[in-house]
Amino acid sequence: MTAMLRAENLIHRVTTNEGPLTLLNDISLQLDRGESLAITGASGSGKSTLLGLLAGLDKPTEGRIWLAGEEITAMDEEQRAAVRSRYVGFVFQTFQLLPGLTALENVMLPSELRGERNAAGRAEEFLKRVGLEHRLHHYPRQLSGGEQQRVAIARAFCSITGSDGILFADEPTGSLDAGNGEKIIDLLFQLNAESGTTLVLVTHEQRLAQRCQAHLRMAAGEVALAAGRDNGSLSEVSA
Amino acid sequence: MQSANPLLPLKLLVRDWRGGELALIATALVLAVTCVTAIAHFSDRLTRAMHIQSQTFLAAERVVSSSRPVEPGWMEEAAERGLEQAQTVQFASMLSAGDQFQFAAIKAVSDGYPLVGHLEMRPSEDAESRVVQQGPPPGEVWMEPRLLPLLGLSPGDSLQIGESNFTVTGLLDHEPDRSDNLFSMGARVMMHRDDLAATNVVQPGSRVRYRYLFAGDDAALNSYFKWLEPRLTEHQRVIDLREGQPRVASALDRAESFLFLAGSLAVLLASVAVGLAARRYSLRHTSYVAVMKSLGAGRGKVLGIYLGQLAGLALIATGVGLLLGTLIQAQAVTLMADFFPVDPPPSGWHPLLVGLVTGLACALGFALPPLFRLARTDPMQTLRRDWSNPDRREWLGLVLGPTSMLLLIWWLSGSLPITLALFAGMALLVGGSALVNRLLVRGRLAKLGGSWRIALGSLQRRAAFNTLLIAAFGTGLLAMLAMVFARTALIDEWRMQLPDNAPNHFLINIAPYEKKDVQSLLSDNNITATELYPMVRGRLIAINDVPAKERKQQAGALRRELNLSWTENLAPDNRIVAGNWWESVDTDNGVSVEAELAERLNLKLGDQLKFSIGGLEVESTITSLRTLDWNSMRPNFYMLFAPGSLEDFPATYITSFYLAPEEKLLVNDLVRTFPSVTVIELDKIIERIRDTISQVSVAIESVMALMLVAGVLVLIAGVRASIAERLQEAAIIRTLGGRRRLLLQSLVIEFGLLGIAAGLLAAAGAETTLAVLAQRVFELPFTLHPLLWIAGPVAGALLVGTAGTLACRSSVSQPPLKVLRELA
Repeated sequence: MTAMLRAENLIHRVTTNEGPLTLLNDISLQLDRGESLAITGASGSGKSTLLGLLAGLDKPTEGRIWLAGEEITAMDEEQRAAVRSRYVGFVFQTFQLLPGLTALENVMLPSELRGERNAAGRAEEFLKRVGLEHRLHHYPRQLSGGEQQRVAIARAFCSITGSDGILFADEPTGSLDAGNGEKIIDLLFQLNAESGTTLVLVTHEQRLAQRCQAHLRMAAGEVALAAGRDNGSLSEVSA
Repeated sequence: MQSANPLLPLKLLVRDWRGGELALIATALVLAVTCVTAIAHFSDRLTRAMHIQSQTFLAAERVVSSSRPVEPGWMEEAAERGLEQAQTVQFASMLSAGDQFQFAAIKAVSDGYPLVGHLEMRPSEDAESRVVQQGPPPGEVWMEPRLLPLLGLSPGDSLQIGESNFTVTGLLDHEPDRSDNLFSMGARVMMHRDDLAATNVVQPGSRVRYRYLFAGDDAALNSYFKWLEPRLTEHQRVIDLREGQPRVASALDRAESFLFLAGSLAVLLASVAVGLAARRYSLRHTSYVAVMKSLGAGRGKVLGIYLGQLAGLALIATGVGLLLGTLIQAQAVTLMADFFPVDPPPSGWHPLLVGLVTGLACALGFALPPLFRLARTDPMQTLRRDWSNPDRREWLGLVLGPTSMLLLIWWLSGSLPITLALFAGMALLVGGSALVNRLLVRGRLAKLGGSWRIALGSLQRRAAFNTLLIAAFGTGLLAMLAMVFARTALIDEWRMQLPDNAPNHFLINIAPYEKKDVQSLLSDNNITATELYPMVRGRLIAINDVPAKERKQQAGALRRELNLSWTENLAPDNRIVAGNWWESVDTDNGVSVEAELAERLNLKLGDQLKFSIGGLEVESTITSLRTLDWNSMRPNFYMLFAPGSLEDFPATYITSFYLAPEEKLLVNDLVRTFPSVTVIELDKIIERIRDTISQVSVAIESVMALMLVAGVLVLIAGVRASIAERLQEAAIIRTLGGRRRLLLQSLVIEFGLLGIAAGLLAAAGAETTLAVLAQRVFELPFTLHPLLWIAGPVAGALLVGTAGTLACRSSVSQPPLKVLRELA
């Protein structure tokens, strides 16, 4: 099976006033199509930095990353953006909906950025799948936190164009109460399974991590624990 | 990669309007474009009106004026270049009809005259005046109607000029190039040029003015006058459109420059508001861009979306500004119709271009740099949840904004020194504002406690913005105060400087034979007039045998003919500052020169001056230098000659006297008795100047008001930039038990103090401006204006205090819990 996401020997350093600081040290991993990976760890352990590098939002100081078979570490910012626009969807902790746009327009945004013609039809379909067909023309301020995150999930799936997609979720339940958080996670995994997309999520919640096929626990920029549910692809990961 | 939906920028623009920054940018752009477009329209129409008026005043497109006939070759050259041409010869001569004699201003005109404009004449007194394009044919004359009774003539009668007889066939009602020179002599008689030689009235030494009129296409005219220029002598000069314009138009021309300068300041302030609002917009949109980038939008696409938004906004705002500017100038022109030399024609496309360029310069220069920064937003910020927009490449904003303004104002004013002076003035004002602001926050006002402490704390935290605010309002208030006080106080002070019973009427063009009768009429009516001074027109052509041309650049008065006079007695307002008056000098060709002119021309006692008078040259030696008081309203002269030295030249006389309002009827007697004498009513002229200044200042003050509105926009933009911070501060103070009233008081104090600081700075600037105006324009001693120092701070406190408190009131009116939750 072709790897959907592969990282080799990632090292990421930043320069601070106190000198160079290593945020990630020698991380490697591989994830096949349709698999799910949970990245956990304490605050400052480097999990969000790793998520950003894997999604092509930034480039590592050293190491290589392949996304859907394309080496994104060899690309400039514009080329990485083009890869993201085809394969990547994002769900953020604080939803990150544009307040001036309705639920429908927020979901249409990725398609409109790509210049697609039938942006509204596709967005409506995804909003229906997250159960918000009656809230299409509501603005984010008129929606509850759970509803806003559903819109964000619809937008994330809408931003993936083909069957080869990968969804990155950064603490998707971090701003929600337990009940709503549970529903959102159910929805996320259900849609992921239906769409056959790959899922990478950052979370503090062990319960949520356990629902993923693979689990990477970070500590001080290094992999403290790598575990695979069925000794599948994750078993190849070296900590 | 496909480009984004082209309608996306428009959709985001419409949806983001409620955020406030776009509305502010649009308002500032509309204001700047409206202001500049209105001024540009006004200026364009004024220029076109002056162009028409000037051509009409010249009766041609260009004229060569000469005191002697020019080479025939000049006319042949003009004909070869395809130029239309005509000639006029003007001189004063005695007319006779039977036993009646009358002095008159005669104009002999060739075929083709006038080349531009028209004549108006009627065949009899009862007939309607009609427009004609040609002067009288040979053997006939037309004359001003007032000459008929003086000579006892009716149309059809015979009139003698010199040795020739003519038939009066028309009454002349209008000639386009009738000089507005007050010193023209007598009523007009027009004859044909071909009849001139036979009259035998033009003799060597006669005071004659030959005018050679030309018209044709610009290229032919330009090449002809380029050919002609090296051939001109000091007796000849070219009169072009600029010189043909009347004095009122020239005053309006100055008002127009001033309007552009004031308009530039309004544009500058509006641009600052655009910059502040765009910066705030860019900060607020950092999270949006980070999200868009994480969804796959590259930097180019993001930039395209926001540039599309800015372009849409700038175009709409500029369009509205162009429309408003056009409507406002139409209204202004209607209001000021009396002061236009002719009915102003509609303006062309240039004012619209000026407005468009202004809109683009403001938008691109000030809003573009924050958008470039926005496009560089790091998408990792979505994960870090850090929405700061670090000011990387801030130099772009620091360079692009001021540079675009510098180029724009240079283009608008047409003068780099004025532009640089304006920028230097602004820099000085910002420096002054920083100083005032520093003094304000370092004061001991915080010891007053409560709301004062909160207000002073806020002033300290926002020192940079406050400096900008003081400078912005200071500029608007300064211009407004200087204008209002110059219009009222300075003119009143100038009038008060005039001595009681200072002459308020001048009589000019008194012929030598009328001298005694005029004096009798005045004394019969118990009017005390000044001495009657003779006047001869002449041109200074050499100083110590060196052509005066080289020094003429230093004294505008020497570019034209001077009124030369002579007198036995030194006038009471004249004082000898060097040399001696006639009784103590042993030369009979001495000349006394006005001291300031002597200084400008670097003249000293003993210098030899050569004058050209009616084509003859006269030499004189400077025997004294005089100071004189132009405000005395007495006839005064730059050059006074020793008695006897100019008596061979034809002269007219001038005098001035005071006439009380109840004695004004005497003016009618004078006009009736001496039709060729001109009465200048100074009291009416002063009123006319006052009216003109009032009307022109309406336009200027409107621009000043726009400057203040621009200042308010800067304030709103600045307050909006700090509103989140203010909301948080207010919420915390209220959570800790602070009352809403305390916060409101602190806002009033904060903005009231800023207004007082701006008002004080404006008062200082306006007082300086008035001092310069008083000294340079009105020649008045320096006077302090206490009212200015009260009006400035009070107006500043009211304006800034009210606007600032209103702009910030939402920070104290929202429930603290809601604010803290939203900000969390």
